[in-house]
Amino acid sequence: MRAVYGIVVRELVRFRRQRARVLASIGRPFVWLIFAGAGYAAVFAGRNEIDYRVYMAPGLLGMVVMFGALLAALSTVTDRDAGVLRMVLVAPIRRSTIALGKALGATVLGTTQAVVVAALLLPLVHLRPSLAGGLLAGLALVLSSLALGAVGLVLAASIRSLENFAGVMNFVVFPMLFLSGALYPVRHLGPVLRLVAYVNPLAYGVDLLKHALLGAWAGAGYGGELSPWLDVAALAGFAVAGLVAAAPLLAREGGVTRTAFRERV
Amino acid sequence: MTAAAIEARGLGKDFRSIRALDQLDLDVREGEFFGLLGPNGAGKTTTVHLLATLLAPTRGTARVGGHDVARDDLAVRRVIGLVFQDTTLDRDLTVQENLRFAARLWNLPGRLAVPRIEALVRQFGLFERRADPVRTLSGGMRRAADLARGMLHEPRVLFLDEPTAGLDPRARRSLWDLIRRLRQASGLTVFLTTHYVEEAEPCDRVAVMDHGRLVALGTPADLKRTTGVGSLEEVFLARTGHPLAETGAG
Repeated sequence: MRAVYGIVVRELVRFRRQRARVLASIGRPFVWLIFAGAGYAAVFAGRNEIDYRVYMAPGLLGMVVMFGALLAALSTVTDRDAGVLRMVLVAPIRRSTIALGKALGATVLGTTQAVVVAALLLPLVHLRPSLAGGLLAGLALVLSSLALGAVGLVLAASIRSLENFAGVMNFVVFPMLFLSGALYPVRHLGPVLRLVAYVNPLAYGVDLLKHALLGAWAGAGYGGELSPWLDVAALAGFAVAGLVAAAPLLAREGGVTRTAFRERV
Repeated sequence: MTAAAIEARGLGKDFRSIRALDQLDLDVREGEFFGLLGPNGAGKTTTVHLLATLLAPTRGTARVGGHDVARDDLAVRRVIGLVFQDTTLDRDLTVQENLRFAARLWNLPGRLAVPRIEALVRQFGLFERRADPVRTLSGGMRRAADLARGMLHEPRVLFLDEPTAGLDPRARRSLWDLIRRLRQASGLTVFLTTHYVEEAEPCDRVAVMDHGRLVALGTPADLKRTTGVGSLEEVFLARTGHPLAETGAG
């Protein structure tokens, strides 16, 4: 559909213009690799099963997807503040079309960034996935981006203004990252945190990436922890649920006519 | 009798306990230049948003271009253009990119959109700036680009919600020139809201609104005659008991 395509194209053009955002998204995982990687690798040292930097690789790709897709979806908040959302809302398209366009834009951005990072990161840590592993990793990146994009839309609809953005970073993005298995296996967490981890879409994405990339270390307990089928189903579930929930929220009256409302009070 | 472009029957909207629009009955004819005059907070924007299907009415019904706003919102949005108080353009995109984005939202195929965008940017004096980010444009040019965006799908009814707010007099004049030419060229129905009396003067008919209610409706000449005063400003004062300008502060 043309409107969906238009929304996706706009996301891409915007992203290309924001050079700082491009560099940050590519550079961020390497910063983690160097600083977090060095520290944890020292802790891991002596257990010669896996180089921690290799172990981190799927999680770092998951991190790229998270920042890429979630932030793209959260740009809906900026769209609302800048008034652009109203141009979209006054177009003869359904709210679900808008949600789909935004989520697909997030998917393209999240996946592209992760693929670029993967092309640099995997050779750096000497990780050479098999063809099947590479394809599964690609699927994991696309599905995770879609799921996180859809969840990000729901978040964006619930955020009233950009000031709440920092709160989202602290209470959503970082817990999501730490409870995803990106930095350590989820099974080491206590029961409560483990429960939280399994309502975290990123956990399923990272798990699927581990199936794809760390198959050789599965025997030592560093591969995926869940069934890959469960991962795929959960990611698809988050994507559908997010899209269904986001569509009506996009048109919430407070967002559309906030000025009209303010004018009366 | 000419067909009605806009018909409202008992149309009203509450925001929680606030009655933004009480009960509006209104008919705007096809091709008419209709003005809704009132201070800020009178309910003008709420009226436009109800007619443009951006808000769901609390009570009453309305039809725009023959389509019911509650039951057939997509059909309504297809036949209307809407220029808001402040820009809806993406400031980081160029004028052309914004218009292409809008063209896709309105499902215009490229072979239709490209020549139309070219014609609009020329007509609206934006040709030289078409590849510049909207951020770098003056307020007047931005509003012209907004108007181009609103006209891209050749609407039958154009809503202008305080279109000149924040513009300097020169930009204001050139915007009105554009709108006049658009009306002459296409027989477009224009529904204008404003709190500037002088902008309501050229309208075919003017509705005066205050506190969510219509207090007067007629041609500017009729309104002045029946009220026995010389200006729309005084019409407003006589019908509401307070001047237009001072209540506009809030």
